[in-house]
Amino acid sequence: MDADGGSASAVGIEGRPVSLHSGQPRALYQFTQQNLPACKPVLTPGWVIATFLLIGAIFIPVGFVSLHASQNVVEIVVRYDAECIPEEYQSNKVAYIRDSSIPKNCTRYLKVHKHMKAPIYVYYQLDNFYQNHRRYVKSRSDQQLLHGLKYNETSSCKPEQLNNGLPIVPCGLIAWSLFNDTFNFVRRSEEMKINRKNIAWKSDRDHKFGKEVYPFNFQNGTLIGGGKLDPRIPLSDQEDLIVWMRTAALPSFRKLYGRIEEDIEADDVIVVHLSNNYNTYSFGGKKKLVLSTSSWLGGKNNFLGIAYIFVGSSCILTSFVFMLLHVKNPR
Amino acid sequence: MMNAMNVPSKRSTLERKLDKLILALFGGLFLMCLIGAIASGVFINRKYYYLGLGASVENQFNPSNRFLVATLTMFTLITLYSTIIPISLYVSIEMIKFIQSTQFINKDLHMYHVESNTPALARTSNLNEELGQVEYIFSDKTGTLTRNLMEFFKCSIGGEVYGTGITEIEKGGAERRGIKLEEVHKSSNAVHEKGFNFDDARLMLGAWRNEPDPDACKEFFRCLAICHTVLPEGDESPEKVTYQAASPDEAALVTAAKNFGFFFYRRTPTTIYVRESHVEKMGKVQDVSYEILNVLEFNSTRKRQSVVCRYPDGRLVLYCKGADSVIFERLGDGNGDLKKTTREHLEQFGSAGLRTLCLAYRDLSTDMYEHWNEKFIQAKSSLRDREKKLDEVAELIEKDLVLIGCTAIEDKLQEGVPSCIETLSRAGIKIWVLTGDKMETAINIAYACSLINNDMKQFIISSETDAIREVEDRGDQVEIARFIKDSVTADLKKFLEEAQQYLHTLSGPKLALVIDGKCLMYALDPNLRGMLLNLSLNCTSVVCCRVSPLQKAQVTSLVKKGARKITLSIGDGANDVSMIQAAHVGIGISGLEGMQAVMASDFAIAQFRFLTDLLLVHGRWSYLRICKVVTYFFYKNLTFTLTQFWFTFQTGFSGQRFYDDWFQSLYNVIFTALPVIIVGLFDKDVSESLSKKYPELYKEGIRDSFFKWRVVGIWAFFSFYQSLVFYYFVTSSSSSGQNSSGKMFGLWDVSTMAFTCVVVTVNLRLLMLCNSITRWHYISVAGSILAWFIFIFLYSGVMTPYDRQENVFFVIYVLMSTFYFYLTLLLVPIAALLGDFIFQGVQRWFFPYDYQIIQEIYRHEPDQSSRSELLDIRNDLTPDEARSYAISQLPREKSKHTGFAFDSPGYESFFASQQGVYAPQKAWDVARRASMRSGARTAQKK
Repeated sequence: MDADGGSASAVGIEGRPVSLHSGQPRALYQFTQQNLPACKPVLTPGWVIATFLLIGAIFIPVGFVSLHASQNVVEIVVRYDAECIPEEYQSNKVAYIRDSSIPKNCTRYLKVHKHMKAPIYVYYQLDNFYQNHRRYVKSRSDQQLLHGLKYNETSSCKPEQLNNGLPIVPCGLIAWSLFNDTFNFVRRSEEMKINRKNIAWKSDRDHKFGKEVYPFNFQNGTLIGGGKLDPRIPLSDQEDLIVWMRTAALPSFRKLYGRIEEDIEADDVIVVHLSNNYNTYSFGGKKKLVLSTSSWLGGKNNFLGIAYIFVGSSCILTSFVFMLLHVKNPR
Repeated sequence: MMNAMNVPSKRSTLERKLDKLILALFGGLFLMCLIGAIASGVFINRKYYYLGLGASVENQFNPSNRFLVATLTMFTLITLYSTIIPISLYVSIEMIKFIQSTQFINKDLHMYHVESNTPALARTSNLNEELGQVEYIFSDKTGTLTRNLMEFFKCSIGGEVYGTGITEIEKGGAERRGIKLEEVHKSSNAVHEKGFNFDDARLMLGAWRNEPDPDACKEFFRCLAICHTVLPEGDESPEKVTYQAASPDEAALVTAAKNFGFFFYRRTPTTIYVRESHVEKMGKVQDVSYEILNVLEFNSTRKRQSVVCRYPDGRLVLYCKGADSVIFERLGDGNGDLKKTTREHLEQFGSAGLRTLCLAYRDLSTDMYEHWNEKFIQAKSSLRDREKKLDEVAELIEKDLVLIGCTAIEDKLQEGVPSCIETLSRAGIKIWVLTGDKMETAINIAYACSLINNDMKQFIISSETDAIREVEDRGDQVEIARFIKDSVTADLKKFLEEAQQYLHTLSGPKLALVIDGKCLMYALDPNLRGMLLNLSLNCTSVVCCRVSPLQKAQVTSLVKKGARKITLSIGDGANDVSMIQAAHVGIGISGLEGMQAVMASDFAIAQFRFLTDLLLVHGRWSYLRICKVVTYFFYKNLTFTLTQFWFTFQTGFSGQRFYDDWFQSLYNVIFTALPVIIVGLFDKDVSESLSKKYPELYKEGIRDSFFKWRVVGIWAFFSFYQSLVFYYFVTSSSSSGQNSSGKMFGLWDVSTMAFTCVVVTVNLRLLMLCNSITRWHYISVAGSILAWFIFIFLYSGVMTPYDRQENVFFVIYVLMSTFYFYLTLLLVPIAALLGDFIFQGVQRWFFPYDYQIIQEIYRHEPDQSSRSELLDIRNDLTPDEARSYAISQLPREKSKHTGFAFDSPGYESFFASQQGVYAPQKAWDVARRASMRSGARTAQKK
């Protein structure tokens, strides 16, 4: 860090004309006699103070810029898992969600306080859902996702591996537990269009999911975990699945659902018609719907900005403390 | 040597402490795994239906057997956290130490001895850093502190002192007393050759004929020329002959005889030929052959050596030379004045630090001799107790001797010994001299080396007291043992009390302990050992004289095991082997006494004074570097593993890995491997000249300042802090959509980000701990970080038919397409290093180490310029010439003090044979020795 805080001896030696036949013996001599040119950083108070001031001077502006970007993002978060259960099932949510004969439709109202500029991203957020559990993470077959039935080795997909002797496409727990709540947005009794294309990273779409692979026998088993897929669409176009299968790092995560490509004015009320299909009730997970605009930096996340400002200002503070000490008690 | 004791395999103290650290890490690993395992057993539950925990689930996740889940998860976690154990640490340390010893120690020009063309030699690479922590040095005397070059310096013949030289000790003593001795100019005929440094015209060139007692002179010279076991080699002329002798003293005596005109030039098994000058009259030279009838050899109990010879004219004479005490006992009656003056002269020589021998002769009658010879032959051919019987027979004839005089031989200190010792003691190292010499000479040498001075309070425990002698005369072995033991116990008690009194007073004198071998034998008794140790640790210097090799080893291990201090033994002879092996570090002087010591040693140097460089420069740097390497390894593995550990908490304790397999395995091998080795090789706190200028810096090593548990604790604390920063900063900042596309990161994006931060930070942290940064540091640190990026670019960019790396496919490109990546990469390393930076600043400012103070004093002075300059001068020299030129430019030390001592010839081989350390050589078996020597020499020439 404070690398060149010391002497100029390195320069002194380098600068002198070297009058040997070759550099080799000299370098070797310097090596064996432990005399290599070196600079000796000495962390004197002056350098400490200067370094801190410099870090502070860089970090605080960066922090404010990041924080500003994050503050400009408008984000609406609505939790809907509890509210979307009818009164009579409140005591037994799991039974409700498992009973496929009950219609799962539900309506929520969102009040927008601030103008939201298109594109508005729609996320669903799950809490207490361990997509990073070891058993879950490895329960997939990337080769099968790419090559389909041409690739038969699907032992990693246990226990969602085979159906009637044929490998399930796509196999594995991750695909099996695909999120299947759906959302429709109505503003002033006019349905808003949600663009559900281009919600996955391009590299995933192009290279990890096959264009020729069709989910012909997906969710045909006895136990159905989550969403179903249209067997006529190849996996590379099933972006819901692609997004879902980029497993999240933490047990609380958001995934992109789609984009609303029109502005929403302040004080608009948005009616969300959702089908509450996905079972998070058995393990007490929350489901949330998130509408968010974005900045150059991304969604609403004050962390970076605050961290920058905090580190920067604590540097400045430390440097002032050091300076005071230095003035009071100089060496 | 086939008869040597088991060669101990030595490991450095630091490494042993490192083992403890590794054990602690294992403990930590176990604890982490236990926490994770128990929590996993608690966590697992069928309610997480998406985990597919149906009836057929494998045991690892089966919620109906939580104990089994916990047990199996334990094993998973052990493999997951195994990175906490720095396996590559040992390999790296070995590598560093190997280069340190072969390239730095062996090739250091400061430790290259030009005269004997001997560089330093590190025979093991295990103990480099041990050299930086030595607190006690046990030194042999002869050949180590002294040169083992004996020179005939003075003599006393018939009550008259000859030789005008003044020894260094006398000069030093005079200076201390404030008397200025006038410089005696050497007379024109002063002769100085190897073994002879004598200046007195009264004895040279036949001038002795005019002395008061020319007959005594004649006998004196004949005794020197005849009574020995020396073998002449080479041409039979005074200029070209070389003498091969069992001890350098003998050679010096025969050389002296040669210079006085009694040239011993040929030996056959039965005769000795001497070319005598000026005997009949001035200038006449005649060859005389003496028939050697018996040789009564030297050993340490007899302390004398006799030869019975027959003159050409039939006269039978026994010549005897030996220690003053034994000769004086065996003198005939009469001639009291001569005895008295000679004894005075002996004391005078002894106090001048010279090694003395008394010469005597006895005329034998034929009858008496024949009578005795029968007994002698009988004894010689006896099968049992031959040595003892021979001694008894010799006793019969070695009596009623006539005193001729005494010789004084100078034993010079090695170059630079006093200043080296002074430097070492400033460095907080305590030096003990363990020698086979007698007490007076040992004390003399100690004075000459300024180990003892007159301001010190000396504790002397000797067996040579009147009381003990009286008991010994009575001859009852049990009684003697009991008596000596009692007196040693009493002495120890008394001295210990005194020492403790001195310690309580603030400005008390420094203490010195002198103890001889016989007393040491009793003091090393398990009952008294503690007391001895206590007393000697309170003393600044300790001198043990008359000790056997075994006792040398015992004293060494007493301090090593009893006081748990790091010890170093240095010696040159076979009698030092056991001591060299017993100490933590054994140093052999590659000198005149053969190779046994060197073969047993860990490091070999040519001169005692090189110890300064070896300890204060190489040892200190090695210690510093290895400490840094070890603590840094500890830090980087702990930090890395802890991030993994924090992640476990958020994966339901399932043992999911945070990092890709390849990241994890290459972390230690590629991304963080090289810079730490560079630090282990090149880090220097202060330059080599400053290290020697401020020996006090060495004390940091003795105190083990850089590898205390406190230091490890501080590193651990900062690892903890940094790992939290890595994990929480990266995860919390990635929890929202990225860029303006609103897409989300997955597990592998976050982990790659975290790993990038770890690699960058850990490498930068390394630069922060460096005291000197060469371009290799920059290259290796930048190279490591670059290696990571190159690796991840390739690894995540290429899709192979194998399954695994699809996790991280394209991850880095996705990451680098976001602003988040760059902002985090700037923030996290700096936030992580901030704690360390503040700590370092505060530590340096308010609690600086000694070396940091020196660094700041000399901050603006470029060092080492002189040496680089001198190299630039040489334009067209061959490498060899350049090397010797460079060598000649090195600063030379001038020796300030010189000290001397008396060592019985053959004494060391005697003890060695008792100890079984090396094959006993008969003192008179010169021919064999000579052939061995020449063989060794020709071997060297190759």
